[in-house]
Amino acid sequence: MIRGWKGYVVYGLGFLLVLEMMLAAAIYWWPSFAENIGKYKVIASPIPMLKQLVDQVDRGGVAGYVVGQHFFKGCATLGTAAAILFASGAVAGEAHRGTMELWLARPVSRLRLLTERYVLGLLAVIVPVFASSYTIPALLTRVDQTMQWSDLTRCSIHMAAFLGVVYSIAFLWSSLGSEPLRISFVMLFASILTFAIYMVETITNYSLYRIVDIEVFMEIVMRNRLDWRFVGPMLAISAVLYLLSLRAFQRRVP
Amino acid sequence: MNSTRSAPPSERALTPAAARTGLRSPGSISVRGLTQSFGDKVALAPLDLDIEPGGVIGLLGPNGSGKSTFMRLLVGLVPLQAGEIWVDGLRLEGDGVEIRQRTTYAPGELHLYGELRGRDQIAFLLRGRDRATRRRAEATAEGMGLPLDKRVRGYSHGMKRQLVFAAAMAPDVRIRILDEISEGLDPAKRSEVLDLIEADAKSGTTILLSSHHLGEVDRSCERLVFINAGKLIADETASSVSERAARIVRVTYPEGVNLDDVPRALGESVAESMRVEGRQLHVMLETDDPRAFLEALGANRSLPAPVAIEHGKLSLRELYRSLYGVEGT
Repeated sequence: MIRGWKGYVVYGLGFLLVLEMMLAAAIYWWPSFAENIGKYKVIASPIPMLKQLVDQVDRGGVAGYVVGQHFFKGCATLGTAAAILFASGAVAGEAHRGTMELWLARPVSRLRLLTERYVLGLLAVIVPVFASSYTIPALLTRVDQTMQWSDLTRCSIHMAAFLGVVYSIAFLWSSLGSEPLRISFVMLFASILTFAIYMVETITNYSLYRIVDIEVFMEIVMRNRLDWRFVGPMLAISAVLYLLSLRAFQRRVP
Repeated sequence: MNSTRSAPPSERALTPAAARTGLRSPGSISVRGLTQSFGDKVALAPLDLDIEPGGVIGLLGPNGSGKSTFMRLLVGLVPLQAGEIWVDGLRLEGDGVEIRQRTTYAPGELHLYGELRGRDQIAFLLRGRDRATRRRAEATAEGMGLPLDKRVRGYSHGMKRQLVFAAAMAPDVRIRILDEISEGLDPAKRSEVLDLIEADAKSGTTILLSSHHLGEVDRSCERLVFINAGKLIADETASSVSERAARIVRVTYPEGVNLDDVPRALGESVAESMRVEGRQLHVMLETDDPRAFLEALGANRSLPAPVAIEHGKLSLRELYRSLYGVEGT
């Protein structure tokens, strides 16, 4: 369970470090990938979804490669795990440890207590997404490539909105429950299942990861604008989930 | 949850209605029709109680009687289902943050953050208070010999209890609500804690103290509120306990005497109730005049001769037993 802003900073930095290491490794591998893209297409051909991904990267060039490696692979998968882990203990962790009464007994309103935890946890998830994304132009200069800051910002906003929904679902459950481990396991299992569905061509459209795949990010890059058909509803869903968490928390008995 | 009014605290604290009733004045606690249930379990039946400013008020009752729920309700930790609560002249509304600013509450269940150092735990407990309050709490804790630079996970149960106590006594407030504050303390520390509570009460603070330890309640409390199954079953002051005691006669007989027939031999008319316990006959008179009973006792020559007769004495332990039918600790 993470408690206090220092804890969130530490976990957020940890998440940033992992993202950054994966990103740096991926970008340094770009020349080799570009050179051997034909071979990868052959390797991927038996798995239709994998072939589709490689084709999308091929069409997108370095931008397709970066959004695939960083946003789709790094942020969407690890970010989901981070969002679940950072949110699941927010309230349920206090109940599990028996410290809920102590936490609530101070002269601080429940609105403030919950909002602080919600915002700090959410920042610990989304700030690393933006921070790591903004290191991409510098890393790309090492392989004589470049990407626009504005494209990276738009992709990061899209990614953050998605992770905000995942985080808010886990947070709502935490506000209702008292077993953070169960919340984490069930949600992580559900996210793995959702990713598995994404990888099956016939049912891929039923997966939440369709919202954050290479095709969606390449649309954002190509059109130079956010896709509000996705971002708007995702922000609205997060807001509703937060309000439901608050409602549950206000009624909660220590 | 009660959220019918939303006037600012200063206004609510000084409403004419509140001013008319002294029990809604600063330092007082007043509840009306307080009802609470958790699912099918009724934790508090409609409960009315008024506590005047100043002094130590003991809240007694067996486990599950509703003491902790009552205390949590007073500071807004449990959402109010029905009834009205006034604390320190302020009506409880919403999540009770304004009342928690004007009171301190020490929970009975003791779960601290083991990874924090004692000093940080105090800072956590006193969030929302000023720095001077924190310093006072640290001084009290250090005065009790607590190592504030050590992590709380290394503290004993009693040390944790003292840490919570130090934090609860530090804020400059008119009301303190202390749930089982001396539980787990050794006799010396318990006495130290009670000394601090009594000194604080003398300075005009109202202290609502729940406890299973009758000895400490007997020593510190000027008023005793007994709760059972969520209902107020007795509300006693020192004078009402002596009035009750004036109706009690205890007759002690020598070892080996069979007392089973004594109540019947004396006849039901001489007392409200009689019961035999070991070598003693406990008699509750109908009035505070024991002469009729003593005459009946002396006139019945078939009864064994007593070795001692006491009148007008009632220990808290006996009072507890008479109210709950079980021994207090």
